[in-house]
Amino acid sequence: MSAKAFKQPPALRTFSSAFVIVWLVIAAFPFLWTLWGSFKIELDFFSKADWQNALTGARTFLEHGSPFTGDGYQGAWVQEEFWQAVINTAIVCFFTVAISLTFGTLGGYALSRSTYRYTFWLLIIALIFRAMPPITLVAGYLLPFFEWNLWGILPTTIIVLVAINQPFTLWMLHSFFQKIPKELDESAKVDGCTQFQAFRHVIIPVMWPGVITTGLFSFLLAYNDFAVTSMLLSKENQTMVPKIASFLGTTQTEGNVMFAVAAVVSATAPLFILVMFFQRQIVSGLTQGAVKG
Amino acid sequence: MAEIQLRNLSKRWGSFVGVNNFDLAIEDKEFLVLLGPSGCGKTTTMRMIAGLEDATEGDILIDGARVNDLEPKNRDVAMVFQSYALYPNMNVYENIRFPLRVRGIDPALHKERVMQAAERVELLDFLDRKPAALSGGQRQRVALARAIVRKPKVFLMDEPLSNLDAKLRVSTRAQIKNLSHDLAATTVYVTHDQIEAMTLADRVVVMKSGIVQQVGSPTEIYDTPANTFVASFIGSPAMNLIDGELVDGKFSAPNVAITGLTGGNGKVTLGFRAEDATVVEQKGEMNAPIYTLELLGDATMVSVRIGGQLVAVKADKTFRSDIGDPVSIHIPAEHCHLFDTETGLRVQS
Repeated sequence: MSAKAFKQPPALRTFSSAFVIVWLVIAAFPFLWTLWGSFKIELDFFSKADWQNALTGARTFLEHGSPFTGDGYQGAWVQEEFWQAVINTAIVCFFTVAISLTFGTLGGYALSRSTYRYTFWLLIIALIFRAMPPITLVAGYLLPFFEWNLWGILPTTIIVLVAINQPFTLWMLHSFFQKIPKELDESAKVDGCTQFQAFRHVIIPVMWPGVITTGLFSFLLAYNDFAVTSMLLSKENQTMVPKIASFLGTTQTEGNVMFAVAAVVSATAPLFILVMFFQRQIVSGLTQGAVKG
Repeated sequence: MAEIQLRNLSKRWGSFVGVNNFDLAIEDKEFLVLLGPSGCGKTTTMRMIAGLEDATEGDILIDGARVNDLEPKNRDVAMVFQSYALYPNMNVYENIRFPLRVRGIDPALHKERVMQAAERVELLDFLDRKPAALSGGQRQRVALARAIVRKPKVFLMDEPLSNLDAKLRVSTRAQIKNLSHDLAATTVYVTHDQIEAMTLADRVVVMKSGIVQQVGSPTEIYDTPANTFVASFIGSPAMNLIDGELVDGKFSAPNVAITGLTGGNGKVTLGFRAEDATVVEQKGEMNAPIYTLELLGDATMVSVRIGGQLVAVKADKTFRSDIGDPVSIHIPAEHCHLFDTETGLRVQS
């Protein structure tokens, strides 16, 4: 590829660079603002007197002798036991991803290799379920869950999240599997594999980028979900997002809003690390060029 | 090692017929080539032998045992795919070893067997590479090595050369011929390239629209094509075919008159090969203006138009003339083939 082909006139280059910078600032600003503000007290961050207090931390300085304070984090993590919500989120995410991917890879593979016409309709039905707002399902679930005494516990939430997530994983993995040539399965079968061995030894290793990408999206769904977790979990089993909401919802005291802000920052940071860690897999096209001559 | 019998083998998808009533015995150690244009059912036939496609009707027997209901892995066949189908996550060594690994062959033997196979196809320098880092020809050889690493009863090759460039194709073709001779294995080879078929095969099966047109040695297929389809498919250039009329041993068509032929009176298609005719000064059986002149190096190809059809004749390499100049062509009657114009079938003479 020649560099010349990508050469742009200077005006265009300046404009596009400027555009990217503006976009970055707009996109990053809310998070940076929250991160900065999480080390202030509420009177600064939500100052009615002067919005610049949020930047300078004038009140925080008066109260704590420094423009920064860890009070919000202290309150959220120690006083309100936010770590419990972190553990709950970890459990919910892990099982949701594990179960979704197990069914998703097996089902997506089967659908991609099936020659029956009804596979198309299965996928369309999956798409319809995917399109429904999750809250519509929750409303229907509530009564039976109360009746059977299943409400409020983590496994119930995990199952509901898997149910909501499964159509998406099926679709995504199905399209990944379809990009893997059928000759690979066939070659493996002639070489001595059963269908399942071909799947395990040949297809899945090639599929890793797809599995990881899909897994990440499933993880984000479980991690960020509010509708299901807030409706189906009791207070002691709450995951991070409903917990943060509950900090906000009881604004009797000064500390609580700042607990929420600190908790938001705590909940967002792992996502950055996660995406950066897996970015190579997310963009990679491992199978390209390796199969065709 | 193995003989394969195909008994009235058919494959249909709904009303579409892929392969119709394929009946053939492939002998032990035979190199059989399935030849035909795309969509003629040759690959489907091979895939049914491999077990990748279910036969709608008929039986497949390997060494006398019916294998229709066996999984591909239990048929003891090895297959080379057109796209090579190498495992992209494994290096060359692991690719070649894969059949041994999944078949639970004693791991102590793996290294030796892989090395032998790799050496045969000259891959010893590339064992650590991933398929993505190999050229087309090297990938093709990995696929070959993977097929020969466990000594299967039957080799199946699905257009293994079609993704290679012309030069590499010739050398790889020679390699495959040598390999199959050394291994003395029954081989079924699918191609649409008649030169590959001619050079490799002990026997060629010419197919069209799922129906076998002719089975025979390359010489038989070339010298006595069973119908006009085979005649026009085999040879480079293909056999010249001219529609005309035969009356009392004399064939006539516009600008063509050939005497001394045998056969009943009526409409016939006359065929002859470019190399069997010669350009003469005058009084040839065919006289027409030159349509085009192609210099091939070892010969000059002269084409004329007869009744809308191009007819090619191989002239001496020193022959020169201009487009539009009249040319006279001698077509010896003994080199002429007669086909029924209606059915296309060869008229016995």
